[in-house]
Amino acid sequence: MGAAYLANEYIPIIIFIVIALVMGVAPLALTYLLAEQKPDAEKLSAYECGFEAFEDARMQFDVRFYLLAILFVVFDLESAFLFPWAIVLNKIGFFGFVEMMLFLVILLVGYIYAWKKGALQWE
Amino acid sequence: MTGLEMAATAGIWTLEILAIAVTVALSVAYITYAERRVIGWIQVRKGCNRVGPAGLLQPLADGLKLVLKETIIPTTANKFLFIAAPIMSLTPALVAFAVVPFGETSLFGIWDGPHVMAIANLNVGLLYIMAISSLSIYGILMAGWSSNSKYPFIGAIRSTCQMISYEISMGFGLVTVMMLAGSLNLADIVHAQAGGIQHWYMIPLFPMLLVYFISGCAETARTPFDLVETEELVSGYYTEYSGMWFATFSLAEYGAMILISLMTSILFLGGWYAPIPALDFIPGTFWLLGKTAFLIFVFIWFRATFPRYRYDQMMRLGWKVFLPWALAWIAVVGIFIYTPGLDSIINFWMPWR
Amino acid sequence: MLETAFFNLFAGLSILSGMGVVLARNTMHSVMFLIFCFFNAAGLFFMLDAEFIGIIMILIYVGAVMVLFMFVVMMLEVNQAKLREGFLQYLPLGGLIAVILIIEFIAAAQSGVFTEGVKATAVHISQQVNNTAEIGQVLYTRYLLGFEIAAIILLVALVGAVVLTLRTRKDAKYQNIAAQVHVRKEDRMRKVRM
Repeated sequence: MGAAYLANEYIPIIIFIVIALVMGVAPLALTYLLAEQKPDAEKLSAYECGFEAFEDARMQFDVRFYLLAILFVVFDLESAFLFPWAIVLNKIGFFGFVEMMLFLVILLVGYIYAWKKGALQWE
Repeated sequence: MTGLEMAATAGIWTLEILAIAVTVALSVAYITYAERRVIGWIQVRKGCNRVGPAGLLQPLADGLKLVLKETIIPTTANKFLFIAAPIMSLTPALVAFAVVPFGETSLFGIWDGPHVMAIANLNVGLLYIMAISSLSIYGILMAGWSSNSKYPFIGAIRSTCQMISYEISMGFGLVTVMMLAGSLNLADIVHAQAGGIQHWYMIPLFPMLLVYFISGCAETARTPFDLVETEELVSGYYTEYSGMWFATFSLAEYGAMILISLMTSILFLGGWYAPIPALDFIPGTFWLLGKTAFLIFVFIWFRATFPRYRYDQMMRLGWKVFLPWALAWIAVVGIFIYTPGLDSIINFWMPWR
Repeated sequence: MLETAFFNLFAGLSILSGMGVVLARNTMHSVMFLIFCFFNAAGLFFMLDAEFIGIIMILIYVGAVMVLFMFVVMMLEVNQAKLREGFLQYLPLGGLIAVILIIEFIAAAQSGVFTEGVKATAVHISQQVNNTAEIGQVLYTRYLLGFEIAAIILLVALVGAVVLTLRTRKDAKYQNIAAQVHVRKEDRMRKVRM
């Protein structure tokens, strides 16, 4: 890769991040400066279909969302193992292919388990 | 390199970046216009046609209206994160465009040989797109949490779960593209599809094209997967945002839609190549943008056609339909590559082998 | 020169954001600092030519693990006042660990490993080497065992997560789409003689 590659390909990305940040901030600052600001207590209260908010908005949510996030992490990690495999498939030969199928079968066991237990089931 | 040369290079880069970022922002404005006109046409009504000729100035009028709206920051909100959320949502949506190759050019023969028209031609371009677009989750989560209001909070949790579910099937679907292309570099992936429509990956990987595009639809929360902003949630995670602040989220959402369309064209529809090699005299950028425009039209078409999914149906589609499909297709492509006899078929799409 | 500047930027920001994680009063702010810290770590990886690791850092840590963290923080709703109660009680132990760490850092810095000349100078490998492909070639051949063990660990994590958190509700109604599609005329209709 080398220093030239690093400079030519990554510095533009850093400049891009800066420009994107500016493009995000600019319209917000513009609207804040241009538009008339007339805040009052009612306007600034949290929305709740016409009545006062009666309890803390950050309520407990179903533990199932949490389980979904864990499943997501596991499968995301699994896919991270697939990326380098996919691009060297040609060089590691048939053995490499069988090995990855073994990897996938092991995880398929977990997937089928989660399916049968109803972890992927929503009502 | 002297300081002057460095400054000149940085200046050219900045201009290139602005050319892309500003174009994306402007095309978002006109996609909203196209959306209204196309849906109007599908539903046999007019759509916006008052502001300017054929309503063409409508997006500008909308933008002006949004800028002149008051900024409302709820008193109960977490100020810092409430302000940061729209920026955190927009920035990744724009920065993802850094690696998209818009075509190849030798700049009218000034450069020897074609150069890829991308801000950064990364070796891990495909992973970069996936990584950066996964960051938009934070803008949504932060918007929902910092508002400190019930509907945005529920909307954000639902939206996040929807996005992460479809990210999985998207990731697995793209593994098949990597297997055929043997590279993560987007320009290499396009080069592997050279030589006309029969070489495009949409033929061997047609199910993955569907998985990727429909997952993209779900990632950007477009109809029929727009249940994060349904009426029951009063438009979901951005309920508390007003005016331009609200528009920034829409900008990010439409930007992501353009990105998904561009990526589908690059990964499955031959990128900047013409369907017939004889038509390659037309610059590749036009082909790429044409394919992208068609896919954006498909997005709008979906919106006008399909009723909304229910949450359990949507989860089922992601986890129980697309994920097994993608896993099965990885195995199928692998078996094709390693079975004598069948490998000659798959080698048609792997010219580099 | 530019490289050193960027190294200092990323390293400095990662230390600052790391401090932010510990010092922020709002748990959500801590999580945001941690995300920022991971970004800077990814930047350091890029500077070491470890392109794949850098991107995976963003894809997995920032894109996946931190979402989980955030869900946990949202669910637990940590009580700040209670957290501060035990502060004095744990101060001696925490302080001791901090002092030991500082002594270790100083000892390492003085040991001569980091002096100029001994330190391996960062030499960038040539452009032709594709980092991802290199990782692939050793991971699936030489480090095969570790790779398969990773599969087992992931399986355990998956099963563990399901066992620990899954509570199915008995009263819930499910839609069985396959059954709906496969339903036949004979299952639903019955001819009645009038």
